[in-house]
Amino acid sequence: MTAMNIGIGVSTEINPAQAAKSAVLQAMDNIYDQSSVTLAIVFGTIEFANIITLKTINNLLGAVPIIGCSSAAIITNKGIFNHGLIIMLLCLPQNIYVNTALVKDIKSDPAMNVGQELGRKLLNGFKDVSRNFTLILSDGLMEDNSSLINGLQERLGTSFPIVGASASDNLKFQKTYIYFNQELSSDAVCGLICGGKLNFGLGIKHGWKPLGKPNYVTKASGNTVYEINGASAARLYEEYFACDIFQLKKSLKRISVFYPVGIHLEGEQEYLLRNILFVNDDGSLVFQGDVPQNSMIRLMIGSKESVLSSTREAAQEAKGNLSSKPNFVLVFDSISRYILLKREANKELEIIKEVMGQDTPIIGLYTYGEHAPLKEISYKGKSFFHNQTIAVLAIGG
Amino acid sequence: MDNPEFWLNILRLGNLLLLLGLGVFLMLTLEKNKQQKITIDKLAKSLEEMDEQAKLIVRTDMELNKAQEELDKKVIGLYALQRLSRTMSTSLEEMQIFKKISPSYLEELGFEKAAGFLWNDKENDFIIQLNIGYLEDEIGKIRTAVNLEKDLYLDLIKEEKAVSSTSIQQYSGLNKESIIHFFKVNSFVISPILPKEGSRGFLFVGKEDTGEVPTEGDEELITVLANQIGQAIENARLFEKSWKTQLELEKKVEERTRELTNVLEEVQKISNRKTDFISSVSHELRTPLTSIKGYAAILIAEKLGALPPAVKERLEKINHHSDELVHMVNDLLDIARIEAGRATMKIELQDLQSIIATVSDLIMIQCKNKNIELVTNIEADMPLIPTDRGQIERVFINLLGNAVKFTPQNGKITINAELKDGVVQVGISDTGIGIPEEAISKLFTEFYRIDNAINQQVKGTGLGLSLVKHIIEAHKGNIWVESTLGKGSTFFFTLPID
Repeated sequence: MTAMNIGIGVSTEINPAQAAKSAVLQAMDNIYDQSSVTLAIVFGTIEFANIITLKTINNLLGAVPIIGCSSAAIITNKGIFNHGLIIMLLCLPQNIYVNTALVKDIKSDPAMNVGQELGRKLLNGFKDVSRNFTLILSDGLMEDNSSLINGLQERLGTSFPIVGASASDNLKFQKTYIYFNQELSSDAVCGLICGGKLNFGLGIKHGWKPLGKPNYVTKASGNTVYEINGASAARLYEEYFACDIFQLKKSLKRISVFYPVGIHLEGEQEYLLRNILFVNDDGSLVFQGDVPQNSMIRLMIGSKESVLSSTREAAQEAKGNLSSKPNFVLVFDSISRYILLKREANKELEIIKEVMGQDTPIIGLYTYGEHAPLKEISYKGKSFFHNQTIAVLAIGG
Repeated sequence: MDNPEFWLNILRLGNLLLLLGLGVFLMLTLEKNKQQKITIDKLAKSLEEMDEQAKLIVRTDMELNKAQEELDKKVIGLYALQRLSRTMSTSLEEMQIFKKISPSYLEELGFEKAAGFLWNDKENDFIIQLNIGYLEDEIGKIRTAVNLEKDLYLDLIKEEKAVSSTSIQQYSGLNKESIIHFFKVNSFVISPILPKEGSRGFLFVGKEDTGEVPTEGDEELITVLANQIGQAIENARLFEKSWKTQLELEKKVEERTRELTNVLEEVQKISNRKTDFISSVSHELRTPLTSIKGYAAILIAEKLGALPPAVKERLEKINHHSDELVHMVNDLLDIARIEAGRATMKIELQDLQSIIATVSDLIMIQCKNKNIELVTNIEADMPLIPTDRGQIERVFINLLGNAVKFTPQNGKITINAELKDGVVQVGISDTGIGIPEEAISKLFTEFYRIDNAINQQVKGTGLGLSLVKHIIEAHKGNIWVESTLGKGSTFFFTLPID
């Protein structure tokens, strides 16, 4: 049995073919046996969302499974790049199993069905193996993320850990891309299931704090909230920001990033955050994930300090759940945190490196949403869709 | 006690007491409720107050975030500008300057699209120098649109002031809507590029984002960038100019060198021709001279009959002058041969001591006649030197002959020979009249004779020192002279050992 072998390559070259080649060659530098590469994880900014990127990787590596997606910026232990491509090559020991799957054209189906379909594909040929976790990457413009997870859980089990990210673009919210083997698709979700003797740790935190009085969702369905405290949902924001619905729509991007809604979950340390996607003319609010009727919600506020200390907590939690030194770390970091921290964004990376070790390979992306389980016993480790959150997944030997 | 009335009264009293108690109880309860209601009202009120405070906090926070964002944008933009300025200033080619502006710099400056134009006098229109964010056909169309309104853009350049989609209304010429339409953006800044020399132009930057409008800060930032571009272009043009001047200068030097080489070759040819001429003339002269000398000798020997003394005296003069002429012709021929490289030196290892002994014997009679002391100092252990013995003897005879000639009675001539810096250096010093400074440089040229009293009396050809120089140089040696007027002269020459 061989030990886990990881190689990382980053390129900021403009040409996708050149960037892919240079990143693969860098990653190969650290790979002892080229024929043993089990999986390639690829994150790139929007200019690399090009089929040539995937073809080039395939030409160099052969038929190695590829999963990945587009991102507003890429995170690596070498830094955060606004324009760049990162490739991580993994050679896994024989007693660790992975299976990957893709579901395309998801807009036309209910998200629940898409989740079930992905779960079915992932489990295909994975029956007698002890399963560890699932990693998913979904179209960042998808609306009903909670149902996607619910569907997946129907197949994989309610308490089965699901970690993942909603892909992002260059902050235009126009089109995000999923990489899967030789396919580049928007309107898709891909996933990876991992099983066998794998040691991993997960940490999820956001650092946003509740502000003002509690509010009650009086009418809601799925990810649409019609009424809060018996009045139109938009009223909550109109009152807090002293604006009308028209002004609210105009500054929604900023308000949504900085002041999401927090759903109170009994026993959980942090509130579950929800970003607003749209404000409808009737005053209803469409969120990126479910907001259940009758739930107690608060307006949330974040600061640089609270965000950075939550990063440390998440990294420490992930590391604490490991029994050995991490082999590599995956970071799914909300784009909201990037926007809030701005020039101090690399402080998050510094904190993670401080906790995980300066030389530990790190790759990550900025997401339009994060999928991760809640740990409180009453939720039985059920995974939820999150906003404004950082999910740190540390993989040990 | 059995009186029912009594019990009835007791009952009434009890009822009364009960009612009274009930009343008191009711009163007490009501009071408590009232207190509780007040507390609840107070709590609700403070909650509302806190919520109002929360609203204030949220609004302040949002303003702060906005300010922070604007500040961050400016700081990032300034950093980008600083780095960009630095790389642009290192560029000395005009064509390279615009290429330094990369999409990532532009993004840090807060824009997505950019186009740079410079005026072209020949074509009488604007030429694209920079394109970020446009396809080839898109930028072609933009150029056409700009050139259709070129006068308006030229006015803008003349104004030397930037405009943006926010400030353009105040400007009468360019139309905001048409710029937005042709450049496919929602907001923009245009700033003139104004190098002090040569053609001017303008920089366009824009973004599609509808959310933010360009601020005065953006306008300032782009103005600074355009100024930097102008400055860099100016530097590049100045450099180009001085570079061209230098090239021209180098070309001139080259031409001049070539001319001089040609002249030199010409001189060399003439010199060769002169040598050939001297050589052939000398040969031609030698034949009749031999005849003259022969006939004179026959006549002097009186083989053709006795001669009157006067005739004999004249004939002897003819014979003497003929000898001098032959001598002169021989010297000339030797010089010509050496110059033409035709004279081959018979180089063999020779003992300098022996050469000097031979020539000393020859010159001794002349020295005795004038009572001149001849001293020889030859360094011990002098190695054998590769020379043509006959030629080197000629050198000594010439130099010693001159020394005797120009040294007055009771003088002294010294021959020094020493090994110095790997060559044999010979010095022949006299206590003669010396050589005037201005004559030293011409001393070794053919037919040159110093104008002094001795030369006027004693005859000479002016070929001796020239021949000496040719011989020494044919041995790869040097010859020079040091002299003090009225004190004496020293002729030095060197001969290599190998």
